[in-house]
Amino acid sequence: MKNNIKVERAIMNITQEELAKAVSVTRQTINAMEKNKYVPSTVLALKIARLFGKQVEAIFILEDSD
Amino acid sequence: METKLLLPNYYKKIGLVVLLISTALWIYISLSGNDQLIPETNFFAVVNADAAGKSKYFTIDKLNLTYTLIGYLFITGSLLIAFAREKTKDEYIMKLRLSSFQWAVLVNYLLLLLLFLFVYGLDFITVMIYNMFTTIILFMVRFNYLLLKNKLADEK
Repeated sequence: MKNNIKVERAIMNITQEELAKAVSVTRQTINAMEKNKYVPSTVLALKIARLFGKQVEAIFILEDSD
Repeated sequence: METKLLLPNYYKKIGLVVLLISTALWIYISLSGNDQLIPETNFFAVVNADAAGKSKYFTIDKLNLTYTLIGYLFITGSLLIAFAREKTKDEYIMKLRLSSFQWAVLVNYLLLLLLFLFVYGLDFITVMIYNMFTTIILFMVRFNYLLLKNKLADEK
C-alpha cells in the first residue's frame, strides 16, 4: 500500500510534527508511513483522512502486490 | 491499538534498579563462590531433593534462598522494564514492541538449537540456567535498539 500523506501535508502546509499531534501519534509514525515502512491501523487512516478532508481511498492506495 | 498489558513509564526506572541489583548480586556470588548471602532458612517447599537426590514433597526445610532472591529480582526487574510503556505511546511503537518479542523468541530458540548441538554434560545445566533469562534479555535489547535506530533515523 502506498499513500500520499506527504503531498497532502504539503497542500495543507503542515509539518510531520503538526500532523502527528493532530492525530495523536508520534512523529516517527508519520515518518514511517511516508517512507512506506509502516501500514497504519484503520483508525489512524480514518483520522488522517478526516483531517485532510478526503476519502481514505484518496490518501491510501492499494498496490498490485497487496 | 493500545494494549492494557502495559505499566506506566516510571516502572522502567524501578525495573532497571532491581535488575542492576540482581545482576550485581549474581556477579558477586559467581566471583566469590559464596552463595549463602542469606543464611539457610526454614522455608516451605513444594518439591525439594535431598542430598541423595530423592525428592520430598510439601516440606519445610532449611533452604538456600540466595538463588530464589536473585532469580526473583532479575525476573521482576526484567518484566517491569519490558512491560513499561514508552513515554510516547502510539501504534508504531506498539508494532516495534510486538515484532521485538517475535524476534527475541526466534533468536532465543535458534541459539538454543546451537547450544544443544555443541554443549554436553554438566555444562549444559549452565546453558539451561542462562536460557531461563535470555528471551527477555534479547527482547529488551532488540526493542531498545529499534527505538534508538528509529529515533536516530528520524533526526536526520
